[in-house]
Amino acid sequence: MEKLDYDGPILEIEKLSISFFTRAGEIPAVMDFSAKVMPGEALGLVGESGCGKSTVALGVMQDLGVNGRVVGGSIKFKGRDLGKMSQSELRDLRGSEIAMIYQEPMASLNPAMKIGKQLMEVPMIHEGTSAEEARKLALEVVEAVRLPDPPRILEAFPHQLSGGQQQRIVIAMALMSKPSLLILDEPTTALDVTVEAGIVDLVKDLGRQFGTSMLFISHNLGLVLETCDRLCVMYSGEAVERGSIAEVFDQMRHPYTEALFRSIPLPGADKNARPLVAIRGNFPLPHERPPGCNFGPRCDYFEDGRCNQGYIPMSPIDGNERHESRCLRITEIDWDAPIVAADSTAKVEAGDVVLKVDDMKKYYEVAANAMFGGAEKRVVKANETITFEARESETLAIVGESGCGKSTLAKVLMGLETATDGNVTMLNKAIDQVPIEDRSPKDVATLQMVFQNPFDTLNPSMTVGAQIVRALEVFGVGENQSQRRQRMLELLDLVKLPRAFAGRMPRQLSGGQKQRVGIARAFAGAAQIVVADEPVSALDVSVQAAVTDLLMEIQRENKTTLLFISHDLSIVRYLSDRVMVMYLGHVVEVGDTEQVFSPPYHPYTEALLSAVPIADTSVEKKRIVLDGDIPSAMNPPSGCPFQTRCKHKENVEGGLCEREVPPMRTLDDGHQIKCHLSDKWLSEMEPVIKIAAE
Amino acid sequence: MEPLTWTGILSPLNYALLLATLVLAVGVVTQLITALFATDEPLVVNRDGTLAAQGGFRGLTNEIVRWSFLAIVGVIVAYIVGGVILGRDAGILGAVSQRFLPVWIALIVTFSLSMTFKRNLGLYGKLFDSPVGMIGFGLVMFWVFTAAFEGFFGIISTHEALEQLVRMKNEAPGSPVEGVDPDAGYYSHYLLGGDNLARDVFSRMVSGSVIVILIAPFATIFAFMVGITLGLPAGYYGGRLDTILSFFANLILAFPVILLFYLLVTPEIRQTGIPTYMAAVLFLFPIIFFGILIHSKFRTRPEINTPLLVGVLGVLSIVYLSTINQEGTPIDFLGFIDLFDIAGGILTVFVSVVFVNSPTVFRIVRGLALDIKTRDYVAAAQTRGEGPFYIMLWEILPNARGPLIVDFCLRIGYTTILLGTLGFFGLGLPPESPDWGATINEGRKLLSVYPHPAIVPAVALLSLVLGLNLLADGLREQSLKD
Repeated sequence: MEKLDYDGPILEIEKLSISFFTRAGEIPAVMDFSAKVMPGEALGLVGESGCGKSTVALGVMQDLGVNGRVVGGSIKFKGRDLGKMSQSELRDLRGSEIAMIYQEPMASLNPAMKIGKQLMEVPMIHEGTSAEEARKLALEVVEAVRLPDPPRILEAFPHQLSGGQQQRIVIAMALMSKPSLLILDEPTTALDVTVEAGIVDLVKDLGRQFGTSMLFISHNLGLVLETCDRLCVMYSGEAVERGSIAEVFDQMRHPYTEALFRSIPLPGADKNARPLVAIRGNFPLPHERPPGCNFGPRCDYFEDGRCNQGYIPMSPIDGNERHESRCLRITEIDWDAPIVAADSTAKVEAGDVVLKVDDMKKYYEVAANAMFGGAEKRVVKANETITFEARESETLAIVGESGCGKSTLAKVLMGLETATDGNVTMLNKAIDQVPIEDRSPKDVATLQMVFQNPFDTLNPSMTVGAQIVRALEVFGVGENQSQRRQRMLELLDLVKLPRAFAGRMPRQLSGGQKQRVGIARAFAGAAQIVVADEPVSALDVSVQAAVTDLLMEIQRENKTTLLFISHDLSIVRYLSDRVMVMYLGHVVEVGDTEQVFSPPYHPYTEALLSAVPIADTSVEKKRIVLDGDIPSAMNPPSGCPFQTRCKHKENVEGGLCEREVPPMRTLDDGHQIKCHLSDKWLSEMEPVIKIAAE
Repeated sequence: MEPLTWTGILSPLNYALLLATLVLAVGVVTQLITALFATDEPLVVNRDGTLAAQGGFRGLTNEIVRWSFLAIVGVIVAYIVGGVILGRDAGILGAVSQRFLPVWIALIVTFSLSMTFKRNLGLYGKLFDSPVGMIGFGLVMFWVFTAAFEGFFGIISTHEALEQLVRMKNEAPGSPVEGVDPDAGYYSHYLLGGDNLARDVFSRMVSGSVIVILIAPFATIFAFMVGITLGLPAGYYGGRLDTILSFFANLILAFPVILLFYLLVTPEIRQTGIPTYMAAVLFLFPIIFFGILIHSKFRTRPEINTPLLVGVLGVLSIVYLSTINQEGTPIDFLGFIDLFDIAGGILTVFVSVVFVNSPTVFRIVRGLALDIKTRDYVAAAQTRGEGPFYIMLWEILPNARGPLIVDFCLRIGYTTILLGTLGFFGLGLPPESPDWGATINEGRKLLSVYPHPAIVPAVALLSLVLGLNLLADGLREQSLKD
């Protein structure tokens, strides 16, 4: 198809309404949504899950499935109404003029076809180019997405590439036809932070280089700040505020946007002095939306008789061009009022050491053949010489990307695996060689775990109450069933869930509520040490704050030690007292939160800090993008585990990094770091995150 | 007396049925052809959120197909209702549907109750949202009710299954009973004709359903017990246990089924007691299953655990011993405490069917366990110190129930066919048994001259298995939705 020359807005969505028709009737997913994307502009679409942002993207692709229908408004692409096009016209457009990139890269690639062939298909189908030309173009594009050795990549199958590389290929495929509009639906959610930073960098550069317009869908405000020019905040099917990044971030004019920003941990938030403000209440279900303003019931500025009546239009903000908000009280609210601090609390002093891990190692042997035991046995070093202590009522964050060994560490602590070497002591009792079945119920109850995925943490076929009662039974709490039932109800009170939830099935609960039940279950036997494996990373931003606060509160009351496993440095900075950074089975840095977040850093910590997107326009970051991927633990690099990606390697003399694992050095007062860099280098490091003077 | 025609005074309905069928056939064909050429006309959404009916030619054909299908259903209902009222006046169909009156009433009660409360009935209730599932469920319940009314009260069949009225040999359907004393209380007609030994085909089909409905689900339940009890540990532990168990499962699956059956029912093999020993092993699995199920759940509450275990295991053990203990077989030691005997033939059939089905169930359960054991709730159970069997039976098994229920329905169907095959080869059950397989085999001999003795049980078998497959389809479809 000939590409049209057109210089008006690339995408114009006007008063779009999309509904899904199900057995239960019509469910409006998007209502009265308008947006405009100019050539070369990147529009960010931000909102919590279920707010309709992905539905908008599917609407643009005209791919709503059997149940979905556009029930009002229009979507114009380069001035042509997509809703009035025939299927074959749409087919011509998709993949050539509009390209979409999805969350899961492996699902977008055909596992049975070589990368090269999949890339070459695009121009061959849409423009009828010859195979040779298509191949040449493919090589160029693979180079443009900064993949090493393009000819080799073209000959590879998708499964031979890592997640980050796969996503780069998906982007390359989208670029093959030089589309005018690129839709990115959470393109980095499935990737690690440092890999994500690379992709974000790439997307930004490509936008500049090719002049492609972008629709960037994300739940992460920080990411949108880094990639987009304009922003549209969605809530419950409606756009509530839109404007340029600077306008929305610095002069937000909708209560939801404001509440959203207050519930994410920005630098400066502190769990004791300035705790996060969670948005109260729950996200309304599509068929239970309140009359008037959808955000009304959760809004601090709600006015009865006004906010809950009739239709609320988007209204422009004085003084800002193209900045609009769906609020009736824009001019009445004092937007610059300081945040009403939720109760600040005194810092709790850490007590005695309750958990001590000394020189712990965990190796796995992988045999080639299970039945006859192959001759070759390979060793996976999941944990190498891990040493740390955790004290009573202290939060120790364990930070690292996938494959760094933090889950193995948790398994060894819990007794699901036994350590290969070294000591683990809990409350003066050695537990490193005691598997869980040999631990006493009291020991098991003392050390409990909160899991990552809220949709997976509860048994879907047992009521919430029965699951907590079962934990109480196993831990030997209570004399009889009625006592346990009573205790279960108290636990529900503890995690601030109504007692009626005891009889509900997990599928009737929202993600945040499930996670609360998971917390209640972990604390059933008065746990003293709780390992929390990314407990909030799968939750929506506004729910994250509430669950985090709950964990902190229970910890404060019970003097619990919290081992908080996470890859999200913002939340770690907010809630932890000490931080331990892991890479490829090694602890590379450990120290107080202050020490770890300020220089000198370990080079890996430095990269991690720079990779985390921060939703604050006043923050200046040093950009450090790591090359390549995390090496496999089966075949770790010689010497320092981080040497293959380290930016400071050349600053160490004599190739020491490639020969020797650096020793753990103590810098000052408990701040330890595993690096060969000289003291002089370390002391000259600059902070990664700078908050501009206000 | 006059022989009955097929539809009697309801015969005008035949033309309506013919017409509706023709229209439906034409409609479906046009629909298929237009789908190849015509493009979708956009669906119009009204202001109030409802969808406007599709217009144009395609809309028209859609309407025609829908209405002609409804007409066919209507005519069939008219045959049944008319038959129930008019009885023999409405011909063979009328008389047959009148005989099935208790079944119709039971079906109507079941459906109306289920439809009323379908929102509170979980997956079973959702079945009533799927037409395919409803048809399947209807067919299956038809045979279940038939077997129940026949087995308990004997009120469906017109004659005794083994009763021979000499003059009725190979008589066509609807023939009046002749050569007997009219006051002896015999039913006036052989509704679906007589077979080669002058027995009533209709009554034999109805009595046959009792055997099929009794053996097939029970054998399938036993196969599931065996498959689950072995499949869960294989999937959960993995490693060498899994390798060995899977190897044996493959071994059984690779063995020719028919040969296996022949071996098991050969008198010489039966003399050695192999089927009895196999029964002794296979029937042990339910006891193991329930024992572990109860103990793993209630181990923390001895005050419930002990009495429950003693009670359940006690009852099961007595039933188990009575089942495997047979006079005249190598296992015969109980003497007077032996509560009941199961006819040797049925036991053998049972054992063979369980033996052949359990490896497949084993593989399904193993696969599901492999998948579910990676979930966080399993890890949560492990980290609170639950034993492996609690995790397998209370954390993994309940969450594998969806695919297992679907497979259960399909597998009853396979078992029914397997029973038919066994009967057809004359294996297991006695030759005079009215089960469908055996009757098909008998009817086969004169098939070209008198087809009805073979066709009737064949259609019965077909409708039951079809019903089970449709039911499984409906369940799968509904369990995939939301």
